[in-house]
Amino acid sequence: MRVVVLRRKKELRYGALVVSGLSLLLGLLIYVAIIGFFGVNPLDALASIARAFVTPTVVKDLLVLSMLGYALLVAFKASLWNIGGEGQFYISMLPGIVSTLYLFNLEQGAVVPPFAVVLLSVIGGSLLAAAWAALAGAIKAYLQIDEVPVTVIMNYVVYYLLNFLVWGPLKGKRTFGYLRTDEIPGVYRLNIRLPMLYISDPALSFLYSIARQVAYYSSFLVGAFLAAVFVWWVFKFTKLGLYVRIMGSNPNYLRATGVNTKVLAVATMALSGAMVGFAGSLYLLTELGRLPYELERQTAGYGYLAVLVTWLSLLDYRLVPLSAYVVSALRNAGTTMQVAGLGGVEQTLILIGSVLLVYSLTRFLIEYEVKVEW
Amino acid sequence: MVVQVTPDFLMRLSAAFSTLYLVALGHSLFEKSGMLNLAIDGLFFLSTGISVFTAVTAHHALVGVGVPTALAPLLATLLAGFASMLIGLLMAWVLTNLPVSHAAVGFSLMFLGYGLGILAGYRVRLEVGNIRPYAYPYELSTYLTAATTAVAAGLTIHYLLYKTNFGAAIRSCGENPHAASSLGVRVARVRMAAAALGLFILGCGASLFPLLWQRYWDVKTYILGYGWFAFTIALASGRHPLLLILFAAIFGGLIEFATSLQALYGLQVDLAKMIPFVVSLALMVVYGATRLRKILEPPSSLGKTYYREERSV
Amino acid sequence: MHSDDSVAVSVKGLRKVFPGGVTALDDVSLDVYSGEILALLGENGSGKSTLVKVLYGVYVPDSGEVRVNVGGRLTKVHIREPIEAMRYGIVLVSQVPQLIDKLSVAENLALTLSSLKWKGSTPLSRVSRFSRVIEKECERLGFKIDPNEKVYNLTYTQKQQVELLRSLVIDARVLLLDEVLTYLPTREKRKFYDILLKLRGEGRSIVLITHKLPEAFEVSDRIAVMRNGKILGVVNTKDVTLREVRSMMFGAAAQLLANDKTLLRKAVKAPKGEEIVVEGLHVKDDYGRDVVNGVNLVVRSGEIVGIAGVAGNGQRELLEAVVGLRRPERGTVRIAGLDITKKGAKLVRSLGVSFIPDRPLEYGCSIDHSVLDNVAVPFSLANGMLLKWDRLREVAEKIVSEYQVVAPGVEASLKSLSGGNIMKVVVSKEIESASRAIVAYNPTRALDEVAAAFVRQRIRVKAEKDEVAVLMASEDLDEVLLMSDAVYVANSGRLYGPLDPESTPREEVEKLMVM
Repeated sequence: MRVVVLRRKKELRYGALVVSGLSLLLGLLIYVAIIGFFGVNPLDALASIARAFVTPTVVKDLLVLSMLGYALLVAFKASLWNIGGEGQFYISMLPGIVSTLYLFNLEQGAVVPPFAVVLLSVIGGSLLAAAWAALAGAIKAYLQIDEVPVTVIMNYVVYYLLNFLVWGPLKGKRTFGYLRTDEIPGVYRLNIRLPMLYISDPALSFLYSIARQVAYYSSFLVGAFLAAVFVWWVFKFTKLGLYVRIMGSNPNYLRATGVNTKVLAVATMALSGAMVGFAGSLYLLTELGRLPYELERQTAGYGYLAVLVTWLSLLDYRLVPLSAYVVSALRNAGTTMQVAGLGGVEQTLILIGSVLLVYSLTRFLIEYEVKVEW
Repeated sequence: MVVQVTPDFLMRLSAAFSTLYLVALGHSLFEKSGMLNLAIDGLFFLSTGISVFTAVTAHHALVGVGVPTALAPLLATLLAGFASMLIGLLMAWVLTNLPVSHAAVGFSLMFLGYGLGILAGYRVRLEVGNIRPYAYPYELSTYLTAATTAVAAGLTIHYLLYKTNFGAAIRSCGENPHAASSLGVRVARVRMAAAALGLFILGCGASLFPLLWQRYWDVKTYILGYGWFAFTIALASGRHPLLLILFAAIFGGLIEFATSLQALYGLQVDLAKMIPFVVSLALMVVYGATRLRKILEPPSSLGKTYYREERSV
Repeated sequence: MHSDDSVAVSVKGLRKVFPGGVTALDDVSLDVYSGEILALLGENGSGKSTLVKVLYGVYVPDSGEVRVNVGGRLTKVHIREPIEAMRYGIVLVSQVPQLIDKLSVAENLALTLSSLKWKGSTPLSRVSRFSRVIEKECERLGFKIDPNEKVYNLTYTQKQQVELLRSLVIDARVLLLDEVLTYLPTREKRKFYDILLKLRGEGRSIVLITHKLPEAFEVSDRIAVMRNGKILGVVNTKDVTLREVRSMMFGAAAQLLANDKTLLRKAVKAPKGEEIVVEGLHVKDDYGRDVVNGVNLVVRSGEIVGIAGVAGNGQRELLEAVVGLRRPERGTVRIAGLDITKKGAKLVRSLGVSFIPDRPLEYGCSIDHSVLDNVAVPFSLANGMLLKWDRLREVAEKIVSEYQVVAPGVEASLKSLSGGNIMKVVVSKEIESASRAIVAYNPTRALDEVAAAFVRQRIRVKAEKDEVAVLMASEDLDEVLLMSDAVYVANSGRLYGPLDPESTPREEVEKLMVM
């Protein structure tokens, strides 16, 4: 048997959709088969997944993953694999915690308007995350060390660093015995709360619950929109966008034309990190409200999920929200099914792994075709 | 010196060394043939899960049959190695016959490894709780044997890589698979063989983590990231089997040292956990910034998609 | 004349179409006899490389058959991998030696020999078993090669010798030499010719691919001419003249080449200002070796300075240092009076200097991107943050039409173009974007003769009309002599010259190249 792989004469039509669709379908099948082997009814699993696509809780993840998807897109376009989303996400929350709980603590009589504190938190968070990502970028650019293990290791450093800070200087005083930071004051939170209404019509009731979610996470909505517009503008109109794209394919060409690819790499990582940090600081102010202890066990893993989102979007900025939606649904499906008593983490891991595996094995079908000769 | 060299410490050091060395050794062999192995941490955890499951299950089975149960952990190690080997064969076939991204494949297998590892071991963990009785015997002789076996494996791999035809073929695939093919090397077969042997060793090494070193396992240990330590020492030592011995010993010692520091001086637990990662980063930086890099370069075609029938200009 | 049992290899009706619609082989049929040297002539893109790669198992044909003489009978075979070809006694040697740099000579040969299970070797046998065989063959052929030497330490000639060694140790019956001799210095070339004649005497077949007619006439028994994937004809060398073969190869375009020299005749002009001045330059290569040892050079506006020399004498590193892509150890480079020595490529580019690099796919373009994107890079360097796509599109379209790049449009991705057209894009954007100087290494390497002639013409026009200074290095001595106002010869990191190409005898230049 011989497997022959040939370059297609023309790219596969709707190739992106075919590959993404195939990845999801086959990935799901693999997932169902695996958990079926461990005693979970496949029909239950599929039902749970289908339901996950329409639960209101998907809204939050969809918006967060969209922001992060765009952030990672910027780096991935340059073939810089920013797997440090987790670390950049959480480290960006430090300025927020410090500002809201310590620097501008309301008990001491705040004189600075809340809006300014929020702005400071978000800008500070973005800058800190940018610096953290830029460090990885510099290690890659100037020392040629692969950014994947570096960014992953840096994630761990952030987990333990934040754990230490939460255990120590940032330990909360009003935490009812739990080890974590205090909650940030409500005046700094970015939620719009629509009232709980009782609506008899189930369809309207459902729509209203979605609307409530969207309102609660409206800051994410704004953030995602800004991220989308920004990415579109960068790649369509700027020289930076052109250079980033070319660097993703052949940095040597840029070098030969005199472009400093090292600085470009660091700048790209910084930009990607800044966008992750932007999302992270918003996340603190909109959802999390505090920093927990043992971060590595509490994290939702958005940083890694975003990698899946960006890859599934095939680096097409138009597909990011759709990809985010799908990944959010899959993640929520995982959490509703418990097998190992870990709150469904193993589900999510297998689901992501299966989908990503099929994706990685079928991506090439856009440009190549396979012939099997017996 | 703050740490006393007791038999206990020696045993823990041997365990740390054996685990990290074998994992890094197998990983290096795999990567020497030109394939990137980003699945290392997932493979590591999966192997621990499988080995724990096998150790407990085999123990009970052997008791039932009346065979000495000391065989159980050994079976666990071999089965973990075997499972990794199968994954290695899959990876090698895919990475050589299809124009796919090494990073993406490795990454996806990492997640699968975490998930499958949890599923493999959680039931056993629930049933028996403490796996200590099912681990390798807690005797100095056992631990020193493990370390010696690891070193012996390393010497064999070194001979294989640098003195035999097969080793030359493996290295050629890592440097320039197109030229290797032109010279007559069957790249797919060589890579599959290297992957099978390499990941078998990796799986065996990882099984030592719960059964020899920590003498503990929990589903939550998938977040520990020890696979990345092995990745780092393989990188810093240029994937050289002999130099790896040095790096694995030092790193293993460092991790044990950090744990001891924590116990003796009350070094905050998170800082202690952070030390190996910071050191990994520092090691990578040192490697990249000094002449070390020139001497211990990675294979030129590591991670490059191998696709035949490229048109040439 | 030739009976059937003296056919070593025969192909019939071979077809090979590459993605992008390029027909590399179009119903090709050819017989190669034992004990002959067959020259395979054609422009780049004519299909000659593809043909031999099919024979060696690098490519698999879409249709057609290949037959090999096995034990006196022509047998149909399916060669899918190089190892299979070698089992039939067919070996391909390429212009770029296909050896593993970081391994030793012995290890490289071990790869072939153990794959063929030569003398009962197994995968686990020691590599060193082959060292003696290598030493013996080296002695026999008069090569000076240490089996334990790492390949990256060998010269270009030595690497080709290793390839030849490999073929002989495994007793190859059919040697396919793809442009192997083209860039060897004349003296080394003659030594190779002697070896080839000896091999022919032993009954082996040699297929010699070249695009240089004189080479074909020197040593071959028959000549096969290919164009556009077809074999136009096969003639006995002694029955035909060079001009006849040339017109077979190029048809009407041959006229263009005949006029080449007149088009490139230089107008007499007064010496202009010094644009590029190099003084006492010392540069190291990627392995830390001193490859440029004290070079002095001056290029004036409107002048073309050509550097002749065999590959590996420091030309690449010298040119990279001049455009700021490589830091020299010592010495200075001045462009338009400004000392740019360690200041980087960005400054050099901003002075209006463009660069045609040696490895065009690696350094000259991004193959996954469109023609427009590729052209945009050098033409937008002066821009601020925002790109002016209208203007860039205009430039790209002008280039495509002037250089006759065969492409569906400027949005077409480079990888959908044929090799020659990719090269046209690579070279043209650099030539057109230069305002002060062009630095080039092998500017016409992968181009067919017609395109090459056009490119040379454009460079000449740029030099004369726009008074651009041109510093060019080429491994093609003919090209250097044809184009340059002043010629230098690179040898072991030093430059010898300047020489006047019109008055200096060719032999003298060649002597400098190989001493």
